[in-house]
Amino acid sequence: MENRNSENLRELFEKFFDAEQAESCVEDIQKAEQIFRENPAPKPDDVLIANIKAEIAMRLQAERAHHFRRILYEVVGTAAAIIFVAAISLQLFQQKDAPKTGEVAYASLIPPKIWESDNITADDEDLAVFTAQIEQIEDEVTALQSGADTGNGDSTLAELEMELIEINSGFWKD
Amino acid sequence: MAESNDLARIITGCKDGDAKCFAQIVDMYASRCYGYFYRLTGNNDISDELLSELFVKLVEKIGSYKGGSFESWLFKVASNIFHDYLRGKQRQKKSLEIQITEFESGTIEPKQSDGDLTDKLQIQLGRLDKDTRELIMLRFYSQLSFKEIAQMRSEPIGTTLAKTHRALKKLREFMES
Repeated sequence: MENRNSENLRELFEKFFDAEQAESCVEDIQKAEQIFRENPAPKPDDVLIANIKAEIAMRLQAERAHHFRRILYEVVGTAAAIIFVAAISLQLFQQKDAPKTGEVAYASLIPPKIWESDNITADDEDLAVFTAQIEQIEDEVTALQSGADTGNGDSTLAELEMELIEINSGFWKD
Repeated sequence: MAESNDLARIITGCKDGDAKCFAQIVDMYASRCYGYFYRLTGNNDISDELLSELFVKLVEKIGSYKGGSFESWLFKVASNIFHDYLRGKQRQKKSLEIQITEFESGTIEPKQSDGDLTDKLQIQLGRLDKDTRELIMLRFYSQLSFKEIAQMRSEPIGTTLAKTHRALKKLREFMES
């Protein structure tokens, strides 16, 4: 029990007392400590020591299981967060790529009525008539431009415009 | 040096949760810690209880040991456990304080379990006040230097030296009378 970091008691006491007093203090302490050595305290029971060791082993095992559970929860939590973020991102990307409602109808030359119709046969007939009329007008415009028509140019143009308006309005009415 | 290296290795093992390293710590310090508790309480059963609590606490707290004197750290934990025990008892039973006062004033002898005979030193220690008794126990059982004890008690080293000297001188007088 004398392993006190090789402490020099005399030197220590001399910092606070004169040499004679320091000597006396050191002597008092050494004599008193001798009393402790002569009157040792009881030792702990072997059964107690064995129980303490068993308790420590049990605690360590419980702590390890708790640590494992904590890691498992962390991994599961992280995975759930990743899946959630991925799902949200995917949804956002899909929304970005998908055509917006209404854009398709107006981007097309085909009237909305035909676009939304399920009657393919009727729609085809309408389209055929529409295409034929456009082609007829194109021919007449071409003839006018080339000067093939010998009639009154202004009235012919007015007639054509009237015809075009009529076709157009008639088509959209259907 | 080899001894301190061994201790460092054992403590590292404890921090890694090695039961064998904890068992080594128990073997190394159980006697001294038991002596410390026994001289403070004068009771075998309570000392058994406090010793168990100390080493179980060690499992929980070993991560907070950041180097320095292990003995100083261990006895600081032991001292806290002893004070917690006193506080807990006071809460449970106010009369404990009266018993301690009676014990300290020497009007009653400390309780002994299993019919143990109280040694003379234990009786004379009972005549010292609680703080002085703990200081002496730290000095003798922890094997700490005065500098370390002073740091642990957060007081100037001169105060620790003077208190210890006075207490040990008094104890010697009691023992010789």
